[in-house]
Amino acid sequence: MAEEEVSPKRPIWSGTVTVGLVNVPVKLYSMIFDKGVSFRFLHKNDGQPLKYERVCTKDEKVVPWDEVVRGYEVNKDSFIVFDKKELDAFKPESDQRIRIDRFIDYLSVDPTFFERQYILAPDKNKEAYSLLLTALKELGKAGIGRITLRTKEYPAIVQPYKNALVLTTLRYSYEVADPSDIEDLKGLKEPNKKELEMAETIIKSLSGDFDITEYQDTYKEKIDELIKKKLKGEVIKVEKPVKEEAKALMVALQETLQQLKKK
Amino acid sequence: MFEKLTRVEFSNLDKILYPEPGITKAQVIEYYIRVASKILDFVVDRPLTITRFPNGINEKGFYEKDAPSGTPSWVEMYKRYSESAKRDLNYILCNSLDTLIWLANLAALEIHVTLSKSKSFQEPDAALFDIDPEPPANFGDATEATLLLKEKLDGLGLVSYVKTSGKKGLHVLVPIREGYSFSQTREFVHLIGRRLASESKNIVSEMSESKKPGTIFIDYLQNSHGRTMACPYSLRATPQATVSTPLRWDDVNKKLKPEDFNMVNIAKVKDDPWRDMMRNKQILG
Repeated sequence: MAEEEVSPKRPIWSGTVTVGLVNVPVKLYSMIFDKGVSFRFLHKNDGQPLKYERVCTKDEKVVPWDEVVRGYEVNKDSFIVFDKKELDAFKPESDQRIRIDRFIDYLSVDPTFFERQYILAPDKNKEAYSLLLTALKELGKAGIGRITLRTKEYPAIVQPYKNALVLTTLRYSYEVADPSDIEDLKGLKEPNKKELEMAETIIKSLSGDFDITEYQDTYKEKIDELIKKKLKGEVIKVEKPVKEEAKALMVALQETLQQLKKK
Repeated sequence: MFEKLTRVEFSNLDKILYPEPGITKAQVIEYYIRVASKILDFVVDRPLTITRFPNGINEKGFYEKDAPSGTPSWVEMYKRYSESAKRDLNYILCNSLDTLIWLANLAALEIHVTLSKSKSFQEPDAALFDIDPEPPANFGDATEATLLLKEKLDGLGLVSYVKTSGKKGLHVLVPIREGYSFSQTREFVHLIGRRLASESKNIVSEMSESKKPGTIFIDYLQNSHGRTMACPYSLRATPQATVSTPLRWDDVNKKLKPEDFNMVNIAKVKDDPWRDMMRNKQILG
C-alpha cells in the first residue's frame, strides 16, 4: 500500500488566461486529491479480481462493445437511440483558453457553487503571470470566466491563493438545489427570546479559529491500520490468467522441477 | 494455492520463430524447459553470449554479451572487462531454471558459453576440438575425421565427449583438471590436429588451409579466453531448428545428418551422454 503524495507531478492542461487582448500562458495542475479508501472485489475462493460484463437484460448474453449504443431515457423504459459518433460531433473541444469575462470581489462568490480547485502555474512567460497575480492581490479581485476541460465547459473563477493563481470550476446554477424548495423548511417559527439568548451563549463559548488539520477521516485511519496489520500476513497476488499456449509450458515446468528436485 | 512455477513473465508466446516447421516461441520455451536439467549442469557459472531472434530466424538476429536492460534482479551476472567492447560487461550466468526460461522468452535461440567458469576465467576446464567440414566435404566426412580423433585421444588414454555443433560440424571436448591455461589447451589441440593432418589426406590443422574445398579443419583457435561454443542442447538458427546434440561415441557414424538432431526429436530423448563429463577431469598427457 503506497500512500501517494499529495503533490501534482505534471500539468493536466496548458493554455492561456485571456483578459481582453492580453494572454497569460499557464499550466494547470490538480489541487484536489481524493483520499478515500477503495477496495476491489475479489473472488473469495481464489483471491482473483472480478471483472464486469455488459449483459443484455433480455437474453442474458454478454454484449460486445461494437454492439453497444447509447439510449436517452424519455419515459420509463422508452429510449431514443444515439450513436457515439453522433454525440461526439457536439462535444465541445477545449480551445486551450480560460476567457475572463469580468472581475469581481472574490469574497462575493457563493462557495456553494465551488466544484474543484486547480493550481495555475506560469508557462514560459513568468512576467505576465506575476503581473496578473499581483494586480488581483492588491485589488482583492478574482476573474470570472469559462474553461473547457476534456469535453465539458465550466464556469470558473481565478483568484490569488498562497502566492499563486488558483482556478476553481463552478457548478451551473441548475446543478445546485435551492433550500427554500424543501417542504420541511416552510413555516419556520420565531424562537422564544430566552432560548435564543441561551443558544447564543453556547455558540459564543464554543467560538474559535478553524484549523482543517484538526480533522481526520477516522474510518480511513482505522482501515489503514488494519491494512498495515494484514500486510504482515498473506498478500494475495494477482495471477495472470494462463493462456492456452502457456498451459503446455506449465506441464513441462512441473515435470522439470520434479527432475531438478531429484538431483 | 497461489504458488507460481516461474518468475518469468511470458510474452508473445505465439510468435513464430522458425517459419519453416512453424515453431512458436512457446514451443522453444517448452523445449528449453524439457532439456533444462541437462543444460544447467554444463552451463552453470559460464559467462554467456546469446544470439536473439525476436522476429524469427528469417530476420536478422543479434549477439548479446551484456545483460540487456530490464534483466530481472534474480538473474546472476558476472562483471568483466571486454576487450572487444572496451568496457565492463555484465555477462549473464545461466545458473537457474528461471534464467534459462527467461533467455528462451527473450528469443535467445542460441546460447554460447565459454570454456571456463567465471570464478577461474583464465583456466579452461575443457579442451575443444571444433571439427568443421568445408564443402563439398559434409557432415558425414566430418564424423569420419571425428572418429579418427577419438582413436587418437583413446591412444593417449584420454576420455572425450562429442556433440554435433548443430550446424555442419562436430565438437569434441576433453574435460581437464584445473591449472591449465588457454595457451596450453590451444597448443594441445593444435598438436593433435597436426598429427591427424599428417596422417589423413583431407584433414587440415591450420587456419590458412581451412577454406580449401573438401577439407575438414580441426579448429584449435576456439581455445582462447572469451571465445565461446554453442552449449550442449543449444538450439541453432537453422531452418530445421537443429540442436547442438551430445552423442554417444557408439552412435557416431557417417550416415548421420545434422537435421536428425532437431528441437522436436531431442526434446523427447531422456538419455544424456554428457552426464558424467565434468566428473571426468583429466591430466593432459
